[in-house]
Amino acid sequence: MIKTVDLKKTFVGRGQTVHAVDGVTAHIKEGEVVVIIGPSGSGKSTYLRCLNGLETLTSGHIHVDGVDLADRKTDLNKVRREVGMVFQQFNLFPHKTVLENLVLAQTVVRKRSQAEAEIKGRELLKKVGIPEKEKEYPIRLSGGQQQRVAIARALAMDPKVMLFDEPTSALDPEMVGEVLEVMKQLAREGMTMVVVTHEMGFAREVADRVLFMDFGKLVEEGTPEHFFNEPKEERAKLFLRQVL
Amino acid sequence: MNTELKNWLWRSLTLLILFSMGAGLWVATKKIDYTWRWNRVPQYFVYHNEDIKTVPFDGRVTTIDKIGETSKITILSENDELQSFIVDVGTERVVVDEDLFAGDSIGSTFSWRVGPLLHGLWVTLWLSAASSVIGLIIGLVTGLCRVSNNITLRQLSVFYIEIIRGTPLLVQIFIFYFFLGTVLDISRIVAGISALAIFAGAYVAEIIRAGIQSIPKGQMEAARSLGMNVPQAMVYIILPQAFKRTLPPLAGQFISLIKDSSLVSVIAITDLTKSGREVITSTFATFEIWFIVALLYLLLTSVLSQVIAWVERRLAVSD
Repeated sequence: MIKTVDLKKTFVGRGQTVHAVDGVTAHIKEGEVVVIIGPSGSGKSTYLRCLNGLETLTSGHIHVDGVDLADRKTDLNKVRREVGMVFQQFNLFPHKTVLENLVLAQTVVRKRSQAEAEIKGRELLKKVGIPEKEKEYPIRLSGGQQQRVAIARALAMDPKVMLFDEPTSALDPEMVGEVLEVMKQLAREGMTMVVVTHEMGFAREVADRVLFMDFGKLVEEGTPEHFFNEPKEERAKLFLRQVL
Repeated sequence: MNTELKNWLWRSLTLLILFSMGAGLWVATKKIDYTWRWNRVPQYFVYHNEDIKTVPFDGRVTTIDKIGETSKITILSENDELQSFIVDVGTERVVVDEDLFAGDSIGSTFSWRVGPLLHGLWVTLWLSAASSVIGLIIGLVTGLCRVSNNITLRQLSVFYIEIIRGTPLLVQIFIFYFFLGTVLDISRIVAGISALAIFAGAYVAEIIRAGIQSIPKGQMEAARSLGMNVPQAMVYIILPQAFKRTLPPLAGQFISLIKDSSLVSVIAITDLTKSGREVITSTFATFEIWFIVALLYLLLTSVLSQVIAWVERRLAVSD
């Protein structure tokens, strides 16, 4: 589904060069749930943002469903509608109601009719458990509800892959559960997911595979059982000792 | 002391200060021996115009019939042709069988006409409205160029903004009228409106740019990650939010524009200011007319700020 080959992303600024992503080669198969773990500044968010072209890559290749993002002829907008993204800060559109948030891209990008898009939007709101909030503006929702709307908004485009960039990091602790529950349900339905998170419980329970990144490099990868119980790399062991 | 009473005391103090300032002005004008003639002012808003009717030929009055509020005077000419004239009742200056010579007045009609002040107000209103709309369009386009990734667009917009903001509007109006007006053969009205619109556009562009840049980056990223292209994201996501935030400074800009439009009177456009000057030359009521002109500008600007405040309240539903 997604294949990255020797992916590099370098930020240059103020005379400094930062190798945020430094040669990551990974393959995410269809229906797989991949969780990316690593200390902050390890480049995991940057890697994720490269996968739907929010960051332009410095070198290497990303193939999303067979399309190479590094190819200049690739229409990124076409790729992005197949790749849903959920952000740490939700990024709901504050001037639109919850339902409008879900409907807008469907009508503008997918060219669905208003009625069709509204049916789809209501269906998804029911799925994430807040059908009664469709007429509210995002500001009136709690963080957990906002993030669930954001997930529904991404799902409304019928994406083939969902990317989650620390979806629970900006939430109050009591709201983390409701968002993770929605994500677990998605995983059970067979959605291909790439999740950057600090929720070790979620990784252990839901992930098919765990990628551990540090200093822009892919340090260790394997099943959750392998990663949490018998990591090979010293850096991974150290990280696990600190977070668990 | 309870706060309610306290507030009233402060309000009374405000009134007292305003009142004593007014009284001071009144005493000051008394000292310079100026005769206020407010009664001369209303006729320059609307006036009752008398249109005197004259006979174009020699002849004799045959009949005078009253029809409602008007009189129909029928006159037989020397060539035996009958012709009728309509005048207002009570203004007839002829009687039946009277002999008339060409050019004699027989009566008059009255009608209400728009005076120079009202006409000037209208010119100022549509002049500012036209240049606001054009200025908003110019500003929007320039503001978008200003935040674009294209270096040429960015540099051109900065060039335009710096030139316009760095030179006085009065000088720009002169250049538009005397230089561009001659070179491109445009009328004074077109020159005036373009000068005002291009002047406002530069300020609007900076306001729009600030508005766009104040929207969190995540909004653009969310829109792009849903598959929208940049123009779609701008139209549906960024600009509506930016518009809401820029309303207060935009309102200030357009209020300024209404006031700045008084400068076009220097290229002989008969706006409110020039009308005021013209009225003063015929009445010598200098003080009264300038106060009235100021009040009329205040009327226009306060209506505009009320309208904008109403739009702001409407847009506040998502806050």
